[in-house]
Amino acid sequence: MHLTDHISDVQLNEYLDEATQERAQIESHLSSCDECAARLSTLQNLFTEIESLPELALTRDLAAPFKRTSSLPAQIPAWLPPTVILQAAIAVAALIAALPFLNQLLPKIESPSFSSVFIQLQTQWTAWLDLLSQFQLPTLPTFSFELSSLYLISALAVVSIIWLAGNGLLLRNQIK
Amino acid sequence: MTYFSAATFSHRLLYYTLAMNAPSDRDLILQARRGEAEAFGELVTRYQTGVFNVCYRILHERSEAEDLAQESFIRGYDRIQTFDIGREFGPWIRRVAANLCLNHLESQKVTTELDEERDADSAQLPEAVQEVKERSEQIRLMLASLPANYRLVVELRHYQEMSYGEIAAQLNMPLSDVKSHLFRARKILAEKLHAPD
Repeated sequence: MHLTDHISDVQLNEYLDEATQERAQIESHLSSCDECAARLSTLQNLFTEIESLPELALTRDLAAPFKRTSSLPAQIPAWLPPTVILQAAIAVAALIAALPFLNQLLPKIESPSFSSVFIQLQTQWTAWLDLLSQFQLPTLPTFSFELSSLYLISALAVVSIIWLAGNGLLLRNQIK
Repeated sequence: MTYFSAATFSHRLLYYTLAMNAPSDRDLILQARRGEAEAFGELVTRYQTGVFNVCYRILHERSEAEDLAQESFIRGYDRIQTFDIGREFGPWIRRVAANLCLNHLESQKVTTELDEERDADSAQLPEAVQEVKERSEQIRLMLASLPANYRLVVELRHYQEMSYGEIAAQLNMPLSDVKSHLFRARKILAEKLHAPD
């Protein structure tokens, strides 16, 4: 590009989009050509206007389908606490008023004496102790082959590998 | 009253503590991969305005834009297992939205073509529109009046900061077409925006 040539619109667009190989030549020309510098400035203003467009607000929450319904308890209405207090007061008054009637109407309940309860518990306890003294542990089955320490270590190693592999699979997302 | 003041204070303290310890996008993606939909909901809360605006700039119809923004997040949730955790979520979900809008426009090509014809005739904007003084609204209307493929390249270049090559790959069009669409779109916008009232 000669310094006397004006910069084309395509070149100006590519320059602002940072998609030109002729950057140095364009800048050199712009420093000496007011007309091209003015055209660049106009295009730059257009870029600014386009990119400074404010964002519009949504009219609904797009996150709602992904969020579960709130498990918080419903708020207690203001009129409820005085009502509860009033109900409790009426209930206590009714109970006091009903006491003489209850005394007359309810049949007397026969309660067992302390000594008879104590003897009953002692008999039960002795029976348990007898049962425990006769208890025998079941005998374990015997293997037909000899279980050497090598077998045990091998089995332990296999189980450990399975356990590690299983954990690796379960936690693969977190390891990434 | 002291009780209420203390409660308010403790709520605010809790809020600020939570805000300071807000999980990163990466943490939320990992939680979403484990099936925690609420974690994805938090990501939606963070990016929904940006995604909606991508759709709105391309479609210029609020209800459709909101539906497609919602659809973008549903697609995003479906693809969360294969999402490259090294990438940023915001630009990715905005590209998903742009792609959806592109497909939407292609599926409604007949209507769009009719719109373009109508828009081509509307070089002289109605008086009611000319009376709109707010510059941003004016720009929005000008963008909406562009043909659909011009709107798309403007969206991808100016708002999603994609290079010519990336736009060409995304829209499956030759690089020369990307450039010509973009430069023509800018020329139209410049003429309309700087035209005397």
